[in-house]
Amino acid sequence: MRTGAQALVDSLVKAGTEVLFGYPGGAVLDIFNCLPESPMKFILGRHEQGCAHMADGYARATGRPGVCLVTSGPGATNVVTGLATANIDGVPMVVITGQVGLSLIGTDAFQEADTSGITRAITKHNFLVHSADEIPEIVAQAFYIATHGKPGPVVIDIPKNCQQALTAAEYPERVSLRAYHPEHAPNPNDLAKFARLVNEAKRPVIYAGGGVITSGAAADLAALARKAEIPVATTLMGLGSFDEHDNLSLRMAGMHGTAAANWAIHKADCIIALGVRFSDRVTGNIKLYAPEAKIIHVDCDPSSINKNVKVELGICADIKDVLTTVGSRIKRNTHPEWLAEIAKWKKSRPMSYKPMHEGVIMPQAVIEAVDKATHGEALVVTDVGQHQMWAAQYFRHNTPRNFLSSGGMGTMGFGIPAAIGAGLAQPGKKVVCFVGDGGAQMTFEEVVCAVEHKVPATFIIINNNCLGMVRQWQQLFYKQRYAGSILSVRGRLEMEHLEQDLDYDYLPDFMLLAKAHGAEAYRVIDPAKLDDTIAKAIDSGKTSVVEVIVEPRANVYPMIPGGKPVTEMIFE
Amino acid sequence: MKQEIYRFNCFVENRPGVLARIVGLISGRGYNIQALNVGPTEDGTVSKMKIDVLCSDESVVEQIKHQLLNQVNVIEVTSRKR
Repeated sequence: MRTGAQALVDSLVKAGTEVLFGYPGGAVLDIFNCLPESPMKFILGRHEQGCAHMADGYARATGRPGVCLVTSGPGATNVVTGLATANIDGVPMVVITGQVGLSLIGTDAFQEADTSGITRAITKHNFLVHSADEIPEIVAQAFYIATHGKPGPVVIDIPKNCQQALTAAEYPERVSLRAYHPEHAPNPNDLAKFARLVNEAKRPVIYAGGGVITSGAAADLAALARKAEIPVATTLMGLGSFDEHDNLSLRMAGMHGTAAANWAIHKADCIIALGVRFSDRVTGNIKLYAPEAKIIHVDCDPSSINKNVKVELGICADIKDVLTTVGSRIKRNTHPEWLAEIAKWKKSRPMSYKPMHEGVIMPQAVIEAVDKATHGEALVVTDVGQHQMWAAQYFRHNTPRNFLSSGGMGTMGFGIPAAIGAGLAQPGKKVVCFVGDGGAQMTFEEVVCAVEHKVPATFIIINNNCLGMVRQWQQLFYKQRYAGSILSVRGRLEMEHLEQDLDYDYLPDFMLLAKAHGAEAYRVIDPAKLDDTIAKAIDSGKTSVVEVIVEPRANVYPMIPGGKPVTEMIFE
Repeated sequence: MKQEIYRFNCFVENRPGVLARIVGLISGRGYNIQALNVGPTEDGTVSKMKIDVLCSDESVVEQIKHQLLNQVNVIEVTSRKR
């Protein structure tokens, strides 16, 4: 016999957990009491939201579930943002929350919250444990659910009395779920149609999303693209699924995607959509999306097919299975005229930017400096906003799981903790986290975790004194009324052309903040020192913070304004 | 837009929280439930839910069906126009 808490810890280990992220509290003390003897490495975050994003970053970098343990009430409500972030991007996670004893549930007990009620709509599934005997089985089921079908986060809410009760229950040999069978084999007729549509296409485009990376199908995708000579556009989540140095790469499509990717999709007669969900950030005006194309959509989630766009052929199956099975039926082919047309678009509208003021660093140059310093081999993690789009646009992505970003939820505060999780998962990798001055102030406390566990991540704060993406929309669509988007008084003076003496230079002073957290600190203002400073920080092998003061008026282009078609793309 | 009532018949595992999950899924996406009936089947571990929902077209019906089937505790879903 062992306690429910011990059964939980043993079950997590059985399920393959090597790293556990978490934060203690009254309702999980019995579980924490079992951790010193456990082989799992425990990482103490500094805020439960940070713990959740770390587990998320760990999962995105490896494909294995990120595991997180927090207490009841505020512990559970603080992981809500992390759960929603992982859920929409299909990231496997198992989150254990403590709960007040079963007899206290519903009494407004201390630190009681209805965790299963709160998390129901933002998790793939959740469990409320009713007895210690259920714990090993539920843990096994949670890991199965998190990793099969479209991955996602699963919450296990465990009342304190179930942690303390004794149980003889053992971890099951195999998982049986009566109603959940998410694996679908592709139908042979559909595969034949897939091959026919691709073989007949004159202007085909592959449009690859995060599902390709989840399925481990990047090599199969490249084989298909090369065999039939089909250009490849990706979504934000699909960056890294196809090498952007390849001539067939169109790079990213969507609101801030390349002109070539968006025009190719607009003019295509066949779109092979793999592991995408046709987000509104990619399609723009859905009625005018890809007007000439027959769309083939392969995804493991049946509810994503025909959800946003109507498709010619929907295949609900694993992408790797489909591509390996269909491969031999795809004709070796060339599309010289189509590629020549695309080459023209690539040449006439490359990703480019111009300096705006003498001696002021352009934010895009910071991304290029990292690409150069790491020879394209960095594991890039971003926060959310303008810098996220520049990181997508100006880094040449080439490897799956090397670009981690909160795509669907757009969660500011994701970057710093996710980078730490990724760094712990991939110790040999050079982890570079791009974050804005806004997002950096949301989860900066987690930098101490990186220092404590010697994660050699480089946090690059692209500081433009404002919430750049919000400011950009206000400039373009709200008559330059910058309400709430200017972060520092210094930025406000500049944006509103005011003059006033300030008794400080930076607010906050990220150098002081970085040093207070034990990290190496660098500030770059001079464009001439950018490359060297970034290379020095990355090569130092230490946790470092590099603050780059950049042009505050820089905007992300090209841009297709929300709800507009490709033809209304703006370039400056 | 013209809307019509569709009936979803769902067989689900008889467990706490399943009803809340199904109802939350439908209402959380902005669809209004017109009628709801839940009861046991001969197999006591399975419940049957009859849910009437106002839908604008068949693609919405298919969407709801797929999303219901994606739920871990949902065994079977059928739908028809009322």
